Amino acid sequence: MTAPTIIVVEDDPPLRVLTTRALQENGYEVKAASSAPEMWSAFESGPVDLVLLDVMLPGTNGLDLCRQIRRQSDVPIIFISARGEEADKIIGLEVGADDYLAKPFGTRELVARVRAVLRRGGSDRSDGQERSSEAHFNGWTLSFPRRELRTPDGAIVDLTGAEFDLLACFITNPQRVIARYRLIEMSRTRLGDSSDRSIDVLVSRLRRKLTTGDESAPIRTVRGIGYIFSSEVDYR
Amino acid sequence: MRLVAKPEFGHGSNLFRRILAILLVAVLIEFTAGALLYERISDLSLKEEEAHRLAEHLVIARKFLEDRPAVDRKAMALELTTERYEILWAPHPVTFPGFTQGLARMHRQMIGWEPSLGEAHIRMQVIAYGAQSRIAGGLTLQDGSWMGFATQAGRSGWDVTGMRIGLAAIPVIALIIIAALMVRAMLQPLGQLVHAAETIETGGEDVPLPQGGTAEVRLLTQAFEDMRRRIRQMIAERTQALASVGHDLRTPLARIRLRLDALEDSPARERIEADVAEMELMINSLLAHLNGANDPEPPTLVDLAVMTDTLVAQYEDMGKDIDYSGPDHLSVSLRPGGMRRAITNLIENGLHYGGAVHVRLKREGERISLAVEDDGPGIADEDMAEALRPFGRLDSARGRNTGGMGLGLAIVQRAIALEGGSLRLSNRPEGGLSAELIFPARPAPGASARPA
Repeated sequence: MTAPTIIVVEDDPPLRVLTTRALQENGYEVKAASSAPEMWSAFESGPVDLVLLDVMLPGTNGLDLCRQIRRQSDVPIIFISARGEEADKIIGLEVGADDYLAKPFGTRELVARVRAVLRRGGSDRSDGQERSSEAHFNGWTLSFPRRELRTPDGAIVDLTGAEFDLLACFITNPQRVIARYRLIEMSRTRLGDSSDRSIDVLVSRLRRKLTTGDESAPIRTVRGIGYIFSSEVDYR
Repeated sequence: MRLVAKPEFGHGSNLFRRILAILLVAVLIEFTAGALLYERISDLSLKEEEAHRLAEHLVIARKFLEDRPAVDRKAMALELTTERYEILWAPHPVTFPGFTQGLARMHRQMIGWEPSLGEAHIRMQVIAYGAQSRIAGGLTLQDGSWMGFATQAGRSGWDVTGMRIGLAAIPVIALIIIAALMVRAMLQPLGQLVHAAETIETGGEDVPLPQGGTAEVRLLTQAFEDMRRRIRQMIAERTQALASVGHDLRTPLARIRLRLDALEDSPARERIEADVAEMELMINSLLAHLNGANDPEPPTLVDLAVMTDTLVAQYEDMGKDIDYSGPDHLSVSLRPGGMRRAITNLIENGLHYGGAVHVRLKREGERISLAVEDDGPGIADEDMAEALRPFGRLDSARGRNTGGMGLGLAIVQRAIALEGGSLRLSNRPEGGLSAELIFPARPAPGASARPA
């Protein structure tokens, strides 16, 4: 198995070098680019598994660049931005980025996000599924680009990163038993959130959030094996 | 936010009263002087007219009486008596003491108007009846008999003077009232300007500036408008500059963190990591402070209970002593980013100054109360205001606001003000500080309100 190839698009030379080195040390093939034209030529030179894109490049709007990439390719994109504000994050995710990494980031966080996105991106493609932006179940809505869950009456329900990934995993495998070890493995890739709670705590928190009034959460325990998401999921 | 009593450019104002006083004095002087002069002139002409009329009447009466035989003259005199003049006849002259002072001129005027009276030896005097006065007198006929006359009471021009002054005062009073209204209207724009000046610092919507007014007021308004624009531009530029410094600092910080990660573990590395983390916090809180002023996010329906619980759970996972008590779900319309940051700041403050933190959420009717309680030293009453001031720092145990720039509570306060609520700090009777957010439970616009 060859190492995944990542393009790092960053205009600050030292940071570009440091990011490249950090990824290389974790076993990734890295092509560094300081501008949009360099990024396009890096695309020409061979298959790319992920793009790490600084939003604020001189002369180019990172958001436009992201849209341009999306028009040609489904390659996973992680935005890097010095603007860590909520609104910027949402805009980034809406133009098609898969994740958002706010400066200043450390090596652990960087590698964890890259690993998580590569895993998600890989499974999406292997299923041959279209990228769907929203999933619906029992009236609830999960928006993937916004990483946002809404109740049937439209209220935003906050989820931690780990909880979102867990719910996303359930929703992409509805009415199928998911082994506990798979979930544990998945949650381990998320180091960015300093949560190392056991998968059971995570599941019970998610259940509590999905329980309203007399309606219980559609996550059932399958004794000795794992969990099953019992509700039907509908993509729109 | 300051509360300033709005100055009223109405009756109570100094400028208004002064202008009105000047006007009043000027009008009164003009009125008094004018009235006196007018009174003198009209008095004189009135008396001259009176003299002429009396002279004419006397000439005619004298002629009629002389044409009659003596026996008819008494009856004739009675017939000659009019509403204005009383006429008498007597066969022998009645002696009069002469001219009362002031009547000599009237006599001259009478003779001048009717020269035939010159030979009649007119004698006149003023007879006073209470407040009114009448003129009485006599003259001789050609046969030596005597004709008496008197002006009728109440027929002289003297008593209408008071009424004339009163009448003349009406336009003066009207003038003063109109002037007062005009001065008030003229000063109105100044009041609006004062109001506009006061609202600049709060950064709210631009208060409309007064339209029109006198040339000076228009110039002032224009100058004020320019100044307001310059101030806003200056603030915007400074904010922009400060924000881009904040953003730009994150790139070198990222470099430091990546470089640190490449180093061997050591106590020095840990300390540098902590320093970098503190700088990050400072930048975050500074940017949140600047951002809150610049682009407020739109409100949306949010499950506040889940939001609070999620934040608490994150600190719990970091091993902090923190708990949440409240409902599992509570849907409210608010600005999620600002509220998350407000709750986070309160929790961080509580954890920083106290060991354990309790977060309590409850809905009381149409109000929501979210209290973050710690068991730290609390804040002395006299330091409460300082704790809320942006960049304010306290010397005591709470010498440092979490976030490092003294912005923590100021950010909370602004976020909650956007929700129409307020932040209340109080020392708990059992010790520690309680920071309570109180705000209205607004259902989402368009969504039906659900009972909680």
